[in-house]
Amino acid sequence: MIELINISKRFGSTTAVDSISLKVESGEFCCLVGTSGCGKSTTLRMINRLIEHSDGEIHIDQQPIRSFREETLRRRIGYAIQSTGLFPHWTVARNIGLVPRLLKWPKARIDARVEELMALLGLSMDEFAGKYPDQLSGGQAQRVGVARALAADPDILLMDEPFGALDPITRESLQLELRDLQARLGKTIVFVTHDMDEALTLADRLVVMHEGQIMQQGHPLSVLRDPANDFVASLLGGEDRGLKEAALLPVSERMMPLGTGGVARERIDQGASLREALSVMLWRRVERLAVVDDDDIPIGELSFRRLVGARGHD
Amino acid sequence: MTEHWASRWRVPVIWGLLLLAGCLLMGQLEALFRWVEPDSRDVIFSRVDFLVLLGRHLLVVSVAAVLATLIGVGGAIAVTRPGGRDFLPLVAQVASLGQTFPPVAVLALAVPVLGFGTLPIVVALLLYGLLPIVRNTLAGIEGIDPSVREAARGMGMTSGQILRQVELPLAAPVILAGIRTSVTINIATAALGATVGSSNLGDPIISGIVNGNTAYIVQGAVLIALLALTVDSVFARLAPARRA
Amino acid sequence: MSAVNGERGNTVLLTLMLVGLGAWWALPVVSVAPNRIVPGEARYAWEVAGPAMALLASLPMALAALSARSADPGWRSLGLVLLALAGLPLWLVLAVHQLIDPELPQARLGIGSGIWCALFVLMLALLDLRTRQRLSTGVSWLLMLTPLALLAVCLPLGLNRLALWQEYQGRADDFWLAIGEHLLLVTTTVGVSLVLGAGIALLMRRYPEVQRGAFAVLNFLQTIPSLALFGLLLGPLAWLANRYPWVDSLGISGIGWAPALLALVAYSLLPMVRNTFVALEGVSPGVIEAARGMGMSRLQIFFQVRLPLAVPVLLEGVRITTVQAIGLTAVAALIGAGGLGRFIFQGLGQAAMDLVLLGALPILVMAILADAVLGNLSRRLGRGEAA
Repeated sequence: MIELINISKRFGSTTAVDSISLKVESGEFCCLVGTSGCGKSTTLRMINRLIEHSDGEIHIDQQPIRSFREETLRRRIGYAIQSTGLFPHWTVARNIGLVPRLLKWPKARIDARVEELMALLGLSMDEFAGKYPDQLSGGQAQRVGVARALAADPDILLMDEPFGALDPITRESLQLELRDLQARLGKTIVFVTHDMDEALTLADRLVVMHEGQIMQQGHPLSVLRDPANDFVASLLGGEDRGLKEAALLPVSERMMPLGTGGVARERIDQGASLREALSVMLWRRVERLAVVDDDDIPIGELSFRRLVGARGHD
Repeated sequence: MTEHWASRWRVPVIWGLLLLAGCLLMGQLEALFRWVEPDSRDVIFSRVDFLVLLGRHLLVVSVAAVLATLIGVGGAIAVTRPGGRDFLPLVAQVASLGQTFPPVAVLALAVPVLGFGTLPIVVALLLYGLLPIVRNTLAGIEGIDPSVREAARGMGMTSGQILRQVELPLAAPVILAGIRTSVTINIATAALGATVGSSNLGDPIISGIVNGNTAYIVQGAVLIALLALTVDSVFARLAPARRA
Repeated sequence: MSAVNGERGNTVLLTLMLVGLGAWWALPVVSVAPNRIVPGEARYAWEVAGPAMALLASLPMALAALSARSADPGWRSLGLVLLALAGLPLWLVLAVHQLIDPELPQARLGIGSGIWCALFVLMLALLDLRTRQRLSTGVSWLLMLTPLALLAVCLPLGLNRLALWQEYQGRADDFWLAIGEHLLLVTTTVGVSLVLGAGIALLMRRYPEVQRGAFAVLNFLQTIPSLALFGLLLGPLAWLANRYPWVDSLGISGIGWAPALLALVAYSLLPMVRNTFVALEGVSPGVIEAARGMGMSRLQIFFQVRLPLAVPVLLEGVRITTVQAIGLTAVAALIGAGGLGRFIFQGLGQAAMDLVLLGALPILVMAILADAVLGNLSRRLGRGEAA
């Protein structure tokens, strides 16, 4: 658990972070969003003391972070950044094994751990272990960066726009993998991004920052549905918020049991989002979709009226 | 592996052997030099053995180079640490401005202060040789992608670990290039040391100029050139090959 | 700026001033000699006009050291450093009046290591303050030249008794002749290597197979020490001159300007070719593509796009070459090419240190001036271009 209590950071006469309080529960995925210069990166970097806070207290598992030696603290917190910061003179395997080596693990254990992580992130050992960072694509390098952050099995992972420089397709697949990884490993993740869709996809807790202050925090859906002010509303996409909400809700949420009027011709997977369903309707010019399970067996149907959330029957 | 090694070091070994052969066998070429310089009584420089001259030359250059490397790299590291950062702009400016000073002028200015002999040569070479090393070390360290340093810190490396495992290895090729420049200049400048009373391979040249003996000049010139080429080709192969 | 000065004050200025004060009190500031032959007698600061005067003279440096402790010393420190610099020529005037017997026309005053060190340290302080105060190049040059200007002003006040000035007066004509020779050799070298270098660079662009070979040869030449190259050229040229009288009649011989120029050009070619080549190659392909897309011809592209964009990098090559040639020409004096190096080697031969200075100082000034002027020009032309 990470707890920030009345944290401020001043650089000279400017205040970058202004007395914010934030609590991230264990296993929670917390996204800090906001425009550039809003203090989100500064906040993240204060947690592993890359930046020292000016006022307030930061606790990790009830212990103030200043009670640890800086390096000790950082070795138990994973850290991944947009430009990866992979060491260009080290191989992929050596880069991943960095923190375990700093912690003086025995060599066999490090090797085993590197192998395990590469498998976890879908990097083939034979192909990548001996490569150097400049031989990797952006997506591969970022996978290595995440593997390196996870190497010593930290409870907490800090990520500063890790997917910011990737193309949309790679970014999306890495987002899904990260989401999946977090569900399996139960890490506490603090994730900084300015990409609102990314934040909405990933976050359990969305924290909107502006000019060094927290404007609003909570579950993405509740922030989306009930923005605290105009700034939050416009940051979340203004009129686009309907589509963003639809992207977060699965088809199964609005689906009706199979009716008697026969199965609709156009199909949609039950795991798809309402947004995808809407897109199919617009594209196929239909008002009804058959909802199918993983084996392509129809299990229900979705009408346009249900999709937009209108009550009652069609 | 051994084959690889052999092909890698073939050029420096050839230059080195030529240099040694030149020192040892110069006397055998008397007929050739007699033809170059028919009027002189002696056509082979014989006041001091060529090997001794070579040894002195190497000694002066290597003492200066080792000291300059230690001080230069150490100093550049010091001014890139938080404690010494105040001095960074000045040191960087002096290192680049200082390189416009001609080595001869530096050598000449060292004499009034330090006197004649080998010591002033070593000091002048050391001071002048510092500049490219400091400049390149600074460039190497400052040129490292800031995100690499940020990541190193974020992973929990101590500043000593960052210096030894990240900054120095990454800056090494640039630092090595600085040492190479420094040594190349110093071999040339040390030869001028013969004019301020330090005996080395410059001796035959200076004495040839003074006595109008072209044979002496050629002997000194050939040996110095071979020395420079040997050392330079060694440095050319020292550049770290991190990829197989 | 506030980050640089910080709460600790200007530690750089503090350190420099303490070193300067140390040099002032621990090293001899001047030396006195009754004539050219006798080595000078060293005098410490307090032996010139009593400890009180020495203390007074070192006051600006002490105050500058004190001013460095405040968070933002800025202009106050700059003023004090300039005052300290201005004090040095005045101090020499004082020393002449105190120590030199006007009855002895040959008596002379040598500048001691204390003053040289103080001058060096003060220049460093000026350099540092210039960066901190972000002075423009023009202003900082003006500041750097203050001590020189003051020296000139003080000359009639007694500084003609400086050993350096006496050496100059003994050979004033020779001195200017040497400067002329030096400049002529340098400009010829730069001119010839510019033309040759540009030619080679153009050939390289046309025939890529030339590139590797030419760079290998030029690198090889650059590695050979200057003294050795001068020596190696001496033999063949002497032989040519012996063999063919017409070569001799052109003034070409083993000794003199011919081997010097040949060697100087050989050294200058590498930086010149490298920069010309890089300059022409370095023009962004996007720009060339656009020019072609607009329908410019090959020649138009070369003269209106590629060349103008390449000029700053090209000038950088001229700068490196010029500075290098100024230094190497000094060595060329050994093989009778004349120039300022003559004074250096004569001085070294006669153990006349002021004669060495008479040769070395102008070389230093020439090199710094060439570096500054050409560097500035290249920066000015390169402004706004990602060259």
